[in-house]
Amino acid sequence: MAMKTNRKPMYQRKAFLIILILFAGFLCIQFVRPDVPNPPVTGDLEAPADVKAIIQRACYDCHSNNTNLRWYDKIVPIYWGVASHIKQGRADLNFSEWNKLAPADQKGKLWESVNQIIAGAMPLPGYTAVHTGAKVSAADLAVLKNYLASMVHSKPADTAVINAADRQYQYWQKNKTAVSKLPTAANGISYIPDYKNWQPISTTERFDNNTLRVIFGNDIAVKAIKENKIHPWPNGAIFAKVAWAQLQDKDGTTHTGEFKQVEYMIKDDKKYASTYGWGWARFKTPKMVPYGGSNVMFTTECMNCHKPMAAEDFVFTQPIKH
Amino acid sequence: MKALYSLFAVCSLMFAACSDNKPVELYNTKAALPSSPKYNLDGLKVITSFVNKTKGTASTLYGNDLALKSAIDGNKTVGANEVFTLVTWKQQDDDHWFGAKIPSNVESVEVIKTTSSGNSVAVNYQQLNGKSLDLKADTSGQSERIKYILGQKPSVLP
Repeated sequence: MAMKTNRKPMYQRKAFLIILILFAGFLCIQFVRPDVPNPPVTGDLEAPADVKAIIQRACYDCHSNNTNLRWYDKIVPIYWGVASHIKQGRADLNFSEWNKLAPADQKGKLWESVNQIIAGAMPLPGYTAVHTGAKVSAADLAVLKNYLASMVHSKPADTAVINAADRQYQYWQKNKTAVSKLPTAANGISYIPDYKNWQPISTTERFDNNTLRVIFGNDIAVKAIKENKIHPWPNGAIFAKVAWAQLQDKDGTTHTGEFKQVEYMIKDDKKYASTYGWGWARFKTPKMVPYGGSNVMFTTECMNCHKPMAAEDFVFTQPIKH
Repeated sequence: MKALYSLFAVCSLMFAACSDNKPVELYNTKAALPSSPKYNLDGLKVITSFVNKTKGTASTLYGNDLALKSAIDGNKTVGANEVFTLVTWKQQDDDHWFGAKIPSNVESVEVIKTTSSGNSVAVNYQQLNGKSLDLKADTSGQSERIKYILGQKPSVLP
């Protein structure tokens, strides 16, 4: 009699059993742990103390070899996500191996990082939701921006720069830069020589890396601009962004100096579905050397940088419509 | 339990991030030139682009095929039927990239057209100012501007 009254209904016993099984499963998967080692620091970022403190606090968990995992980061399945973020984060940018980057690339990475912070893409919102201390405040951002601005120096070009630009110009002027076979990037995109006959849709002065840029659009892109159909851009639209070194003369005018590169974005939401619907390529120097060599992973770099522009179909340029 | 709450917080925040609708400014409307019969950029190619950091201006020099060819040859001789158009904008900070400046309101559109007149070539210069593209009536200083524009070295576009 007593036993009968103490006995829980069937559904309650079942629920208990299920919870028990789930809990056992939860305990078991705790042992499936990818390794997150902290490799030695080969050369740490050097920056003023206040700047470095912000970067360490906001970025170092995923972008250095000094990852500080909290206990709640170590609980599977959260830990799996954490481990993969750290692996990816270090591959894209590692402040502990800062010395492995050329000075120009270090500068470029810093500007890109601050732009990712401004765009709200970094630190990852999911990460700062838990690690609230990693949030970058408006005051922090001002410190970072001031630091970058202090690195900008504008001065008239020296003779070596002028001569290099002149040599390249004369070579081009005599039509010696024409390539017979179109160079092709690892993702199959070839250099498109006709870009220079397209219409410019905007220009940019990049004081972060001392270049001047003109962005050209092919006929499909220009038509889409005229017809207000750029959200999303139509398939077949192509941009070519050309970058030159800045060449400042004594009157304060900054001209296009040495040709650095031409970059393409080719819209095709099916063919390039795996890369945000765009085909990416960059060709450097008048010899049109494909960026990334034979490694197709170069597109990750393109995508990472353009990711904050998802709402604009991954396009930074705001075209000028006349 | 805290872990579970954290996971929940992460998921809800990711969801919030996806539905976050920031205003999207697709065009650079400030820098747009008004349509006008006074100038025509259709079919013109880029000869070069430059900025003036002291004045905070950005310029692009356009030209028709004949103008581009002459410019690459150094404009040693001025042929007929060449069209050069120099558009100069004020600059503004690029909202999409800290470290970049893009064109803002238009300052001037300068148009050079060459025509054959008898055995020589006549060079016509017009300067249109401001958003309303007002024709500058004062013709002094025109020859300096023509010299300046024809003196621009083309950008290397391989």
